[in-house]
Amino acid sequence: MSRLLTIAVREYLAFVRTVGFWLSICLMPMGLLIAIFATTMSAKVAPAPQVALLDFTGGAYVKPLTDAITAPDASPTSGLAGRPAIMVAAPGGPYATPDAAAAALKPYLVGDRKTPAGAHLDAVAIVHGSPADPQLDLWTRNIIEAGLQAKMTDAIAGAVRHAQLSAAGLTQDRISAIDAYAPKVAHFSPKSEAGRVSQRDNLPAFVGLALGFVLYALTLTGAGILLNSVIEEKSNRILEVLLTSASVPEIIGGKILGAAMVTASAMCVWAAVAGFGLFSRDPHLLGDILGVLARHGFGFYFALYFVGGYLMYATLFTTIGAFCETPREAQTLLGPLMIILTIPLVFMGQAVSHPDAPALQAMSWIPFFTPFLMVARAASNPPLWQVAGTAAMMFGLTAVEVWIAGRAFRTGALASGRFDLRLLLAGVTGRGERV
Amino acid sequence: MDPALKLDGVTKRYGGFTAVRDLSFEVKRGVILGFLGPNGAGKTTTLRMTLGLVTPTSGSLQVLGETDGRRLKGRVGFLPEERGLYRRMTGVSAIAFFAQLKGVPRPEARRKARQLLCDNGLAEAADRQIRMLSKGMAQKVQLLSAIAHEPELVILDEPFSGLDPVNQQGLESIIRGLARNGSTVIFSTHVMQHAERICDQVVLMAKGRKVFDGTVAEACAAAPRRLVVEGALAPDALSGAPGLGPATSELIDGGRMRLTSALAGNASAPAALKAVFDRDLEITRLELEEPHLHDAFIMLTERAGSCALDGAHA
Repeated sequence: MSRLLTIAVREYLAFVRTVGFWLSICLMPMGLLIAIFATTMSAKVAPAPQVALLDFTGGAYVKPLTDAITAPDASPTSGLAGRPAIMVAAPGGPYATPDAAAAALKPYLVGDRKTPAGAHLDAVAIVHGSPADPQLDLWTRNIIEAGLQAKMTDAIAGAVRHAQLSAAGLTQDRISAIDAYAPKVAHFSPKSEAGRVSQRDNLPAFVGLALGFVLYALTLTGAGILLNSVIEEKSNRILEVLLTSASVPEIIGGKILGAAMVTASAMCVWAAVAGFGLFSRDPHLLGDILGVLARHGFGFYFALYFVGGYLMYATLFTTIGAFCETPREAQTLLGPLMIILTIPLVFMGQAVSHPDAPALQAMSWIPFFTPFLMVARAASNPPLWQVAGTAAMMFGLTAVEVWIAGRAFRTGALASGRFDLRLLLAGVTGRGERV
Repeated sequence: MDPALKLDGVTKRYGGFTAVRDLSFEVKRGVILGFLGPNGAGKTTTLRMTLGLVTPTSGSLQVLGETDGRRLKGRVGFLPEERGLYRRMTGVSAIAFFAQLKGVPRPEARRKARQLLCDNGLAEAADRQIRMLSKGMAQKVQLLSAIAHEPELVILDEPFSGLDPVNQQGLESIIRGLARNGSTVIFSTHVMQHAERICDQVVLMAKGRKVFDGTVAEACAAAPRRLVVEGALAPDALSGAPGLGPATSELIDGGRMRLTSALAGNASAPAALKAVFDRDLEITRLELEEPHLHDAFIMLTERAGSCALDGAHA
């Protein structure tokens, strides 16, 4: 046991004493924050789009279209639609036909020509046809500007509807009341604590999803640390010396424990950063999240699946590392697994909206996906038999891996040259110790 | 007292390949044994069997009285070929870490590590990372990490490889010191001079078989003495001389020729010298060279090679 702890402590100190470890710890939350705020920030710092509007129907649509695209957007998305536009007069006008206008204004969109104010155009909206049934030709600098098109479509539809209702004899007040009408909808669910679903009821699902991602990141980070550590020890022949000093279970156990301590340190730092960030911005939300963590058994789920998932991946990566002399060899071996491991990332998102989807439930039974998907599903309180069954499958596979690792590790550590599947099988079956 | 190491008919096969064949020898305690042989001779496999890293296919192996090498962890020290240290550890931490794994308590291990470094002129390496040390210093630190727990048996795989003469000398001193303190040292090497200088016993292997086991003097005695003659000579100037084998010729400076001929096993050196003088040759140098371990190594491995070929042909 003391040898195991000695190896674990060395493994831990070897990582936490490096600058790279603390850099990666700090960069992770920073990267997350940048990803969250990048969209808003880019929308805020981008210049307002310049839009020229030409109405060949008689001018009835100038005001509604101008109002629609120059009004500030409460929830900006992206592209031109996310920011209030600046209406500019169409340069070079007036134009006799919509086609002539389009041909003349195209160079302003491409950037070959500038308006008298020295700007280029981001979009040109040409309304033509009859006033009762107008047609909009929208020219934009970028091909994808769905938001702007949607805003203008809504504005024209609204204007046509107003005109038709007005022609049918409705007063302006009545039309405004129809426009403002919104049905009173109440959402109820037996899973909601108050019966009626509120924003707070959605919180556990998002907390589960976040924990699933954290588990994913921690597990694969820890396993990756182990992989690199074992490869370094093998290429330096340190593994040989270790094998003369400690048993295989002591070496593997010590290394896995050491890397677990590294990931636990990372988790503590991230939790502290997240807690501090939430506390400083929204203490109530922090209280709600802590309440969710305490009430929904997330601690149990996280601990159970972190232990199982980490052991499963750590043992696998450690054994593979013992057979590889270079990280490139390991990448070749782990490449297919890493591609497969993108699958739970896709399904984890589903756990928020469809936690009981059959595909998600089926995926949860694949041991390599179990830890991440079950934690993400935790908020929906999956049936106990599923929790017990998936955990049993996961720990069963881990036990098989540990058995294989115990037999194959020494063979891999003493082997030279490239990875050889026959060598691995010989190690597992105990038929060979080829070196 | 049990010998430090005893192998009896040990064979190790990997599938259809036999790495070590029917190997038997014994090493007494306190002895420095040189384990010699060309590449692929089976040295590393034998050392790994001794360390309990691999198990023999057949035969018996006893280390410090134990038949299971895995029970010896605290009694054996091992230095692998090339590097075997964590590059970011300091000298003290590296030595103490491996001593701890061998059962030395941490405070004692660190104290001992610092002491060993000071005693061996490596005080400056104590708090520097291994990657910052020269290769010679790192190799010495590595050796110290193998002996900090005061093992009864020290196994060193090619300890001199890649070292300059000064560091080789330092390593030899450490090995001699270990033997003086009662440890048994087994090291493999290609460099015969080291074995010749410090070994009490040598075991020579070739193609998985033992071809010699004895003292350095006995090994040297297995090789013939050589007569070296230099001067204005014809390549066949020594041919037919009694007691001398076929001569090899080599052109040296000033158009002179060097002829080298082995004395036959039962030949008298004075008689051979007289025969050369009687030929009235124009000689500028004449020397009767005693054989070195290097000569014995070449002769014995070549003989083993030809025996293996004979066996293959048969």
